[in-house]
Amino acid sequence: MKTSSELIKGLWNENPTFKMMLGLCPTLAVSTSVVNGLGMGVAATFVLAGSSVIVSMVRHIIPEKVRIPCYIVIIATFVTIIELLMKAYMPLLSRALGMYVPLIVVNCIVLGRAEAFASKAAPVVSAIDALGMGMGFTWALCLISAIREALGNGTILGFGISDYFSPPLFMILAPGALLTIGVLIAAINHFSARKDDKRWT
Amino acid sequence: MKQTVKFGLILGFICLIATFILAFTHEITKPKIEEQIRREEEAALKAILPEADYFRPGEADGIEYFEGLRQSELIGYCLKVTGSGYGGYIHMMVGIDPSGVIKGVRILEHHETPGLGSKIDEIRKGDSSPYFLRQFVGKRGDSLAIRKNIDAITGATISSKAVTDAIQKTVSEFLQKVKR
Repeated sequence: MKTSSELIKGLWNENPTFKMMLGLCPTLAVSTSVVNGLGMGVAATFVLAGSSVIVSMVRHIIPEKVRIPCYIVIIATFVTIIELLMKAYMPLLSRALGMYVPLIVVNCIVLGRAEAFASKAAPVVSAIDALGMGMGFTWALCLISAIREALGNGTILGFGISDYFSPPLFMILAPGALLTIGVLIAAINHFSARKDDKRWT
Repeated sequence: MKQTVKFGLILGFICLIATFILAFTHEITKPKIEEQIRREEEAALKAILPEADYFRPGEADGIEYFEGLRQSELIGYCLKVTGSGYGGYIHMMVGIDPSGVIKGVRILEHHETPGLGSKIDEIRKGDSSPYFLRQFVGKRGDSLAIRKNIDAITGATISSKAVTDAIQKTVSEFLQKVKR
């Protein structure tokens, strides 16, 4: 029961993008097409799970006062190893995901989870938490990039929607990202607030 | 004070382990990665100059190139071109015929922003080659410029310019060396 709630909380209640506002920098940069969003989401989920397990395993060794540099070293090492292995043994995957991997090091979801969860929980629970957070990040990225790709490029997953619609280009440039995420978060907060009102009255 | 030294030592120890793991992984993957790069180069050579049956590597004042030969007759060159893009170096292979007209351009490696700069290497549905690179084919390699005869990609001006300028510069320098 408890483990399933650790998995599900990342999807909605503690969604990294919409509720905790973490990792917005890669979200803004990458969400220009659904394929990109999916690629970044999958790569980040993988790194998140791996680094959470490692941080959780060494949590008793690391002194509290120097924990942040330790986590950064662990995450950066893990990401670099993944990148090297992918380049050597999976060149096709590396070509598809390669450019997202360096972006993951600076993704604060990874450090956020190490700090807030993995440093206090056992490896298995940390891995489940990381998977949930990764999936939450992935669907959020897919939603944002689907809206931006449809409005800014007139396509979904590369397929054209309509010949009579000439898409406003700014939606796949930086302003479109800020607008889309802002409107989505406003809508989500609006609905969450209404739910809370009902509960209290 | 004592605590500071202790924490420093622990952090140093973690860094030391990380360094060893990284060095180890690097050593193991290095030959494999180099082999992948070489394979990609070969594939690029064959795609750019399909008529050639042999490629002879050479170097002229820092420009690495391959002479494309067909029954020991020179039919073109493939130059290794490096441009400075938005997210790092863009490594390319550019094929020219002996007079300097571009036969094909292939991007070997780049680190441009996904969704914007990465479009320099994007293949549209139903196409067989990236639409941005196709416009170089048939133009003289030493007279390329954005807005003059090359259209930049919207939202990726820096990446487009990096590719165009690097090809223009390297091909011009190379042609001067060969003519002499």
